[in-house]
Amino acid sequence: MRPAFRKSAFATLICILVTALQVPSETPAADVAKVELTFEKDIIPIIKAKCIRCHAGVEPKAGLNLTSPSSLLTGGKSGAALRIRAAEFSLLYEMVSSERMPPVGQKLTANEKGLIRKWINDGASGVSNAAAIDRSDDVTDTDLWSFRPPVRPVVPDVRHPGRVRNPIDSFVLRQLEKNNLIPSARADQLTLLRRASFDLIGLPPTPAEVDRFIANAGPGAYERMIERLLASPQYGERWARHWLDVAGFTESAGILNEDRALPLAWRYRDYVIRAFNSDKPYDRFLQEQIAGDELTDYWAAFEGEERLPEYVVEGIIATGFLRTAADPSRPDFSKIKNAAAQYFYPTLFDTLQIVCSSTMGLTVQCARCHSHKFDPIPQVDYYRMQAVFTTAYRTDKWIPQMNRRLPIASRRQTEAAAEKNAEVDAGVRLLKAELAALKKTFADRVFTDQLAMLPEELLEDVKSALNTKPASRTEVQGYLAGKFKTKLRPQGKELDDAITKYPEYTRRTKDLNAKVIAEEGRRWLFDEVRALYDQPGEATTPVLLRGDALTPGPLVEPGVISTIASPEPFEWSAPGPESKTSGRRLAFARWLTQPEHPLTARVMVNRIWMHHFGTGIVATSDDFGVSGASPSHSELLDWLATEFVRSGWSVKHVHRLILNSSTWQQSSGVTEEHRSVCEKVDPDNELLWRQAMRRLEAEPLRDAILATAGTLNTPMFGAGQAVAREKDGEVIVSAGQNQGRRSIYVKILRLNPETMLEVFDQPTISVNCTQRSISTVSTQALTLLNSDAMTRAASAFASRVEVEGANDPVGRAVLTAFSREGGPAEQELLSEFFDAQIKLYLEQHVEADRAKTAVVADARHKAMADLCHMLMSSNEFVYVD
Amino acid sequence: MNQFDLLSRRNVLSRLGCGFGGLALGTLLRESSIVASAEPELSADFQPRAKAVIQLYMHGGPSHMDLLDPKPVLNRFDGKTPPDEVADDEKRTKNLMGSPFQFHKCGQSGLEFSEIQPFVSEHADDIAVIRSMFTEHRNHEQAIWMAQTGMTTGGRPTLGSWAAYGLGTENRNLPAFVALPDPGGASVNGVRNWTSGWLPPRYQGTVFREQGSPVLNLQPKQPRPPAIERARANLLRQLNEKHLAERPGELELEARIETFELAGRMQLAATDALDLSQETEETQKLYGLDNATTKSYGTRCLMARRLVERGVRFVSLFMSGQPWDTHSNNNEGTKKCCHRTDQPVGALLKDLKRRGLLDSTLILWGGEFGRTPGAEQRNTKVAYGRDHHPYGFSIWMSGGGIKGGQHYGATDDFGYRAVEKRCQTANVHATILQLLGLDHESLTWHHNGRDERLTDVYEAEVLDELLA
Repeated sequence: MRPAFRKSAFATLICILVTALQVPSETPAADVAKVELTFEKDIIPIIKAKCIRCHAGVEPKAGLNLTSPSSLLTGGKSGAALRIRAAEFSLLYEMVSSERMPPVGQKLTANEKGLIRKWINDGASGVSNAAAIDRSDDVTDTDLWSFRPPVRPVVPDVRHPGRVRNPIDSFVLRQLEKNNLIPSARADQLTLLRRASFDLIGLPPTPAEVDRFIANAGPGAYERMIERLLASPQYGERWARHWLDVAGFTESAGILNEDRALPLAWRYRDYVIRAFNSDKPYDRFLQEQIAGDELTDYWAAFEGEERLPEYVVEGIIATGFLRTAADPSRPDFSKIKNAAAQYFYPTLFDTLQIVCSSTMGLTVQCARCHSHKFDPIPQVDYYRMQAVFTTAYRTDKWIPQMNRRLPIASRRQTEAAAEKNAEVDAGVRLLKAELAALKKTFADRVFTDQLAMLPEELLEDVKSALNTKPASRTEVQGYLAGKFKTKLRPQGKELDDAITKYPEYTRRTKDLNAKVIAEEGRRWLFDEVRALYDQPGEATTPVLLRGDALTPGPLVEPGVISTIASPEPFEWSAPGPESKTSGRRLAFARWLTQPEHPLTARVMVNRIWMHHFGTGIVATSDDFGVSGASPSHSELLDWLATEFVRSGWSVKHVHRLILNSSTWQQSSGVTEEHRSVCEKVDPDNELLWRQAMRRLEAEPLRDAILATAGTLNTPMFGAGQAVAREKDGEVIVSAGQNQGRRSIYVKILRLNPETMLEVFDQPTISVNCTQRSISTVSTQALTLLNSDAMTRAASAFASRVEVEGANDPVGRAVLTAFSREGGPAEQELLSEFFDAQIKLYLEQHVEADRAKTAVVADARHKAMADLCHMLMSSNEFVYVD
Repeated sequence: MNQFDLLSRRNVLSRLGCGFGGLALGTLLRESSIVASAEPELSADFQPRAKAVIQLYMHGGPSHMDLLDPKPVLNRFDGKTPPDEVADDEKRTKNLMGSPFQFHKCGQSGLEFSEIQPFVSEHADDIAVIRSMFTEHRNHEQAIWMAQTGMTTGGRPTLGSWAAYGLGTENRNLPAFVALPDPGGASVNGVRNWTSGWLPPRYQGTVFREQGSPVLNLQPKQPRPPAIERARANLLRQLNEKHLAERPGELELEARIETFELAGRMQLAATDALDLSQETEETQKLYGLDNATTKSYGTRCLMARRLVERGVRFVSLFMSGQPWDTHSNNNEGTKKCCHRTDQPVGALLKDLKRRGLLDSTLILWGGEFGRTPGAEQRNTKVAYGRDHHPYGFSIWMSGGGIKGGQHYGATDDFGYRAVEKRCQTANVHATILQLLGLDHESLTWHHNGRDERLTDVYEAEVLDELLA
């Protein structure tokens, strides 16, 4: 307890010196600290004495009535009068402490101010949060297209049916024809191969794949190529990355400076990769991520099964989706005032933002503070949705984020393990005691042996000096003890040094330590999962007035955005008290994944579309609200959405449709004809009269560099590849045999983003990233030209070319980098450069050395590395046609 | 004003492919019609008073009552229990602790500084101290977010990024926003101190270093002979030109080619900007480069002046760790920080002034919060530290349109709580933007469905009294 202000001479002094602090003589302030203050007993009297003339009655000044406990949080014109446990940021306290209030008459005494301050800071006991929230700004029903279920449109007729390969083309062509625009011709085969390869697996076609594709150019070759890519395990590594962006996946906790590592986060990443590879139905994918524990009945399996079945483990790993929000809590959080507001609520806010923006393309965070200004989202609905998650993220009983993990084990296993581990503990304790005893024995032997080496005449004196307590030693004894203590009774490291000289000690400790290790090895440990699961007990969810956790309002029950016209309502009822989980998240997931949900399928097909065309049918893939873009092809969007659901929510089905359409297969080049017509009418290519040229994102670019250099290594899954910050500030993937792993396995640390990925726009995750920005900046040029990683890659690429293309290294380099044959002019340009560069490197040597085999070989290698380096830095490498 | 207007305002044509940070090509392509008709001259929201900002970020939270906010009452009650009004009811501070440092009235204005800032206080008449700052969090990280990005939550763009976004750069070969971290080690919050958050990465602070290659990867670690380097660049240009010729009109490709050219020019510009040997001995001494204690911070102050001179818009100086975080020995710790920074900061003010740059360069000095009037006991037998304190603290500004020689607002008699003209962070941010000619309400960026701004939902007031 803090020291109280004692009324004393000191107080009197203050009265004289500090007129602002008038301490009344009647109430010893010391009592203030001890008692719990209440509104009725302690505050109302002050208010009655000093404030009631204005702030009471039917028309209180500034709309602020101070006499009723419910009106303090609701406040008046200037907002809430107080904020729980935050007097320093409460209007009431600000006004009275600065003596702006009361404006006339007696100001509050220091003691009264102190009472108000303490009362607020102790939790404002007696203040009710039951005030009805002001619904005057509640949304009127806006007729928002995206809040109505998609209706499957009839595939339209077109004037040029020959250009239609599937319904996508009919919808697109219809619009083009209406605007008298002509689609572009089909891109050539190798362009399509490279485009499809980057789109689906995020890697360039290998020279062998190029050869095979050319050799097997019969009917169906293209479709087979698409199927091969969709079946590749690398497909999941590419598309999981897109999902991890919207999920806000990182491998560090964020906010705090130490940016704690999250060693288990990778399991969720692997789950996402597997889900895409197995084409897990998207509805199931969402259900697992939001409520995998409830969906697979984790608790029943935990209680009833011998071991957790595989699908249950998968279910709890999937909830890692709800564990990506940054973690601002810290071990000493409980000692800090308003921890819920400062540390816990942000996690809840971020979680809801991640869920809603990723699955529904909505910016619900605006409704946290007030009903959404543009979209028909009432504030109370925001908190109803928050209530879906407050049984797991309980702000009143917070579990530190780092402690939220589930072992992959059943109760029986856990109990058996506890029993067994108790045995191990006991065994280890015994062994450690034995070790300690051994040490003591030998410490005594050190004493005896060292003492024996002393001159006879000193022996007894030293012995008795050391055996006397320091306080009782005579001066002589003190001197002797000081002089001989380190030798005879060494401590710490000195003792260790002394006793390890006894072979017997070393041998016996070695034996014992080996036994400890063996014993520890018997310990039964379980892998753990960073999961989300409900906490026991009843959770309450208040509407936070103005989004402020310090001014809680009325309580709400779980629910969803009421204005979304889903055919099936959100259905949830509280389970019995014996239930370990509330079922709220599963109810939410079921509501979200109903076949005709207005947003879920549309948002996902739009996102898939965006990654194949550069822009979504709704250009703002993260905003399907009023202020978002309207769909460029609304019927196509709805057709795709319904088709997606009909296919059993198959993401790969949508890929197939898109990649087999003439629309996607168009050339990205602009012909003269298009320039004069299409570019004038539709300069942004909204109507899709051509494919867009796209820059590779950070990960496919780095992966392409590794693949081209031949240093990509492909082990899938598992803990992420470490990164480290160099002295010059560059963050690089740590050296080692897995340095060349795909970028999805490179750890994403919020404070240490890998430099190459960062400069090429891998997002800095604060909450999540629903749409990446693409920048073109000179730091990218510098990274490509000068970073060690690129220099290494260029050298490896050169070595590869020297082996694989011994007869035509230049041609081989072009084929490997660009997945096409070089043209004659290009070959000439590169060969000239190669030769000239060899000469330049030879000129670095003295004349006599220039003919030496090793020197020539080195010059050739460096020249080829330069050539390779420039190919990988060129626009052609970085852009996809 | 939105980002498109800004682009046109900043005369995109002149920046096409020239901005150090490069271009928002997607935007540019769509806005090419605006570009063509863009007004050539800059038309800001307000008449700009400052062209550049130098932010002297004081990591850890400097002790306001030992530096800028004299508290005679606190001194008188040194060692006494605090009255209820200012008792720290959540942390572990103990009895009140007065400041051992003498305050003096300085300059014509008589603005008060404590004795441990002899150099800065010489410029009292150019300095405006805000004594009534408060912030919303008492942890470093969140409070730094507040000071740097306007909110206590992470991931938002820093002040410098907003300035870079709003103004672009004056020098096509240098970035608009430069961060000068302490070579002694990372600051708390590290790279996030100059992050662009969800603004495009080109508005992120570019780190310039005192030693070695000034910008990361400006040169390869094993330099190549010039002839070889030239031949490589030449080949790359030819490859890109051929590629572009087959794709006429793709502005994005042209812009990317330009970034490579710029990379070359930057090597010269950045190297030149940071070549302090061009400075006279007198100047070097002025900044304390001849003294081991002041050398590091002095070097960064001098670098900052040279960068601002060359058209960089925003330079942020950081300190290693959090030296002002004086939990265990406040008086010594605070003094030490002054020894490291006072002379260099004083030199910066003096140097800018004599070069006629102070009028157009805003200096911003301060940390994320202040320190408690009560003594904290940490790792010592006696309590003579001070803990974090968000309810009242001081920062100062100078130059760039600031009316010096004044203090603004006040804390209570103990320095506990800002009571007069309470100043939230958003007010400071709005004022800085206004001095740069930008309106905090219209400088927005559309992100996740919302027009975001530096001052977010705060009802920010520009501090008119501070303006010259």
